[in-house]
Amino acid sequence: MLKESLISEFEKIVGKENVLTAPEALKAYSYDGTTSWIKEPEVVIFPKTTAEVSQIMKIANAEKIPVTPRGGGTNVSGGSVPWHSGIVLAMTKFNQIVKVDKENLTATVEPGVVLQDLTLRLMKDGLFFPPDPQSFLGATLGGIISENAGGPACVKYGVTKQYILGIEVVLPTGDVVHLGGRTLKNVVGYDLLHIFISAEGTLGVITKAELKLNPLPMAKKTLCVVYDDVAVAGESVFRVLENGVIPGKIELFDNWVINRIEEMMPIGLPKDADAVLLFEVDGIPEAVEKEAEKIAEITMKYGAKEVRVAKDMDEANKYWMARRAGFAAVFGKAKTVFAEDVTVPRGNIPKLINRCKDLAKKYDLEIVVLGHAGDGNLHPAILTDISNKDHYDRAVKAMDEIIESAVEFGGVLSGEHGIGLEKQKFMKKVTEPVVIDLMKNIKALIDPNNIMNPGKIWE
Amino acid sequence: MKDLKELKKIEQFSDQCMKCGFCSFFCPVYQEEKMETSVARGKNYLVKQILAGNQEWTPEMANIIGKCLLCKRCAANCPSKTQIDRVVVGARAQMVSEKGLGFIKNFAFRKVMANRKAFGRYAKLMQAFQWMMPKTEGKIRHLPDFVKSLGKRNFPELAKTFLRDQVKPVYKPQNGEKPKMRVGFFTGCATDFVYPDFGLKFIDFLTRHGVEVVVPDTQNCCGAAIYFSGDFETGRMLADLNVKAFKDLNVDYIVTTCATCSSTLKDYQKYLPDNEDQKQRYEEFEKKIKDSMEFIIDILKIKPEDFKLKKEFEGKTVTWHDPCHLVRYQNIKDQPRAILKALKGIKYVEMPNADLCCGMGGSFSVYHYDLTKKIAGKKMDGIKATGADIVVTACPGCMINLVDNVLLNKMPQKVHHLLELVE
Repeated sequence: MLKESLISEFEKIVGKENVLTAPEALKAYSYDGTTSWIKEPEVVIFPKTTAEVSQIMKIANAEKIPVTPRGGGTNVSGGSVPWHSGIVLAMTKFNQIVKVDKENLTATVEPGVVLQDLTLRLMKDGLFFPPDPQSFLGATLGGIISENAGGPACVKYGVTKQYILGIEVVLPTGDVVHLGGRTLKNVVGYDLLHIFISAEGTLGVITKAELKLNPLPMAKKTLCVVYDDVAVAGESVFRVLENGVIPGKIELFDNWVINRIEEMMPIGLPKDADAVLLFEVDGIPEAVEKEAEKIAEITMKYGAKEVRVAKDMDEANKYWMARRAGFAAVFGKAKTVFAEDVTVPRGNIPKLINRCKDLAKKYDLEIVVLGHAGDGNLHPAILTDISNKDHYDRAVKAMDEIIESAVEFGGVLSGEHGIGLEKQKFMKKVTEPVVIDLMKNIKALIDPNNIMNPGKIWE
Repeated sequence: MKDLKELKKIEQFSDQCMKCGFCSFFCPVYQEEKMETSVARGKNYLVKQILAGNQEWTPEMANIIGKCLLCKRCAANCPSKTQIDRVVVGARAQMVSEKGLGFIKNFAFRKVMANRKAFGRYAKLMQAFQWMMPKTEGKIRHLPDFVKSLGKRNFPELAKTFLRDQVKPVYKPQNGEKPKMRVGFFTGCATDFVYPDFGLKFIDFLTRHGVEVVVPDTQNCCGAAIYFSGDFETGRMLADLNVKAFKDLNVDYIVTTCATCSSTLKDYQKYLPDNEDQKQRYEEFEKKIKDSMEFIIDILKIKPEDFKLKKEFEGKTVTWHDPCHLVRYQNIKDQPRAILKALKGIKYVEMPNADLCCGMGGSFSVYHYDLTKKIAGKKMDGIKATGADIVVTACPGCMINLVDNVLLNKMPQKVHHLLELVE
């Protein structure tokens, strides 16, 4: 239990209304976007300035109270669940877009800014922030940076770390440091900036970020390509790329997902198709037209059954809405879902998909596949039920094998969700012990009392 | 073991939520408070905790479950289609069944609103004393300074003569011919006591278009404020009285000029049934209910271009505010826009976030007036951006709140029901 006197100190720092201790409020901060990781904090604090965060961290460090930073709580790894209880540092009120610099194509933001709010603001200036985690309606920039989030746009634009020029961080000791800067090039000593990006809040609290922006593309076009065989769809991905077209996005969903989406929101997807690929090309209007033609030509040549070019924005939006609903489609259909985040080099997508199919047969399970095919990041999802022991055990085995397969095919355990709590048991299996030791030593150096989001990444 | 009857009924909806948190973007309350307890995901999680026996109906829990506008923006945008409105309303009903209503609501709902005659008498009494309320402008008054703690709320005057005191039981079509259909008119409290002109105007409009209109004096309050607050017992009583009031009148449809009334009457079948018999009766009732907006376009099939603008509005720029009870509860959004766009003599401008709740939320604005003002502030930003002279809508509840906030923000716009704009 936290001392009463500490609560009133926190109240002095951020104001009474920004410190929550009611049991109901603590329950509401015990979860994130996952199903099975639940732990209540002892207090929820809403800072609004760097100075407030620093003061809170100093107290927490002196008293050795665990601190878990949290943004929108949309993450799917258990990352923002306060696993050792203590303080949840809710960043949602620390949410100003400080500056949009059109001249330098940068923006300065506070950690609680929600990605969609940023997108809407940047649109006014004809700009955009390319990383597009599909939780953009709730995800905050602090969390997006801490998880090094990615999304469909990765094929052409990459992930979050490629768009962070600098950050301000409050260290567990309360010290405020500035890493990186405001320039595109920066080789001043070790690249500490990138240790904090994807650290999942285990090293410090990000209190400001300098983002790199792009001008909004002038035109966009969406194609929905239909396949009789999901593995052939997987092959199409690298066929398109090796033929010189880099689409903005390439997304895949299989027959099961297609049918579930049609059940939820009928938009006319081909229900008998084994898979569809959604392509989006963006850029200068003439180039977009040519690239769309080229994709149609190549995909047909390499085994596509049908190519549907969206005739207008409305049709395009329908396809992308369907893609966003993909996860809901999966989660709504089973008591427990393992949503994997494995990523392989693109050329091995067909192998991974076929392996998933084999495993589904071997363990007599439903394994559905959707994901960002364009960057090799698939989300095979295993549908199971935690209360059905036999079924659940088989699902766990299948999940183990999917991850092992991804590594076997030269891939990684997680592409964009992070380790958090959800993937801990696999981390050890697929990471060299010396590398884990290195990480632990860095953590001990920066956070000697182990108060920053403890219990995450490694067991 | 506690009887969790009302919660059991909504458990299946509660289970739909997969905790993605997308609702936070759409929730007007969360957008102001930025706290997990404000948003659907948090409320739903806590309701599940009650179901699991891990949470009691504490005052804080009551506050959390009360602080929802029921605007349904989250539900409309939920990827897993969680009907969170049913979870919230069901939770309130459960709370009322365990803890009772409390003195004020008990009096207001059961002693006043649930009894047509008593409601009329209290409204008369208030009307007699409204001279004590200072005038803001025209027919708008506000709370006097000595109750400043409640805020300077502006509200429209109660009408000199209520609709119930000037309406006839039957109106024949004006052309003297055989009626092409017979409809029942549901008055609704706001139209009855504050805006009787809309009612008379709509009846006139209907009879000019060959419709026979009947107005039974046995009808009651629709019950929205009552059952949305969780008082299902009184809600069911009113539902039964209203169903009965129109039952033997042999009407093809039942129409109203109030978005809240039309959606409430339609939704008896969704929120209230306690048994199969009730469910069936409410479902049959629902089929007859039409909001004025959908009735004139979809049923009477009047072409939008056939409406004539009232002279006083000529040359004005207008914008449309979507009442939650139209756009999300009844999916009525195209009909009023079609009329406004086709009306010759005015310019129509769509406002940003037209479907954003005005912040009223019935009794929400009584208990959380500061939040109401903040949420309405965003609506006002949208209105300002259009440069419109007139904000048009079709819900007396929204109108009352929009008028208050336009005045509080010292804006020049006037607020009108769509029916006021046309001849």
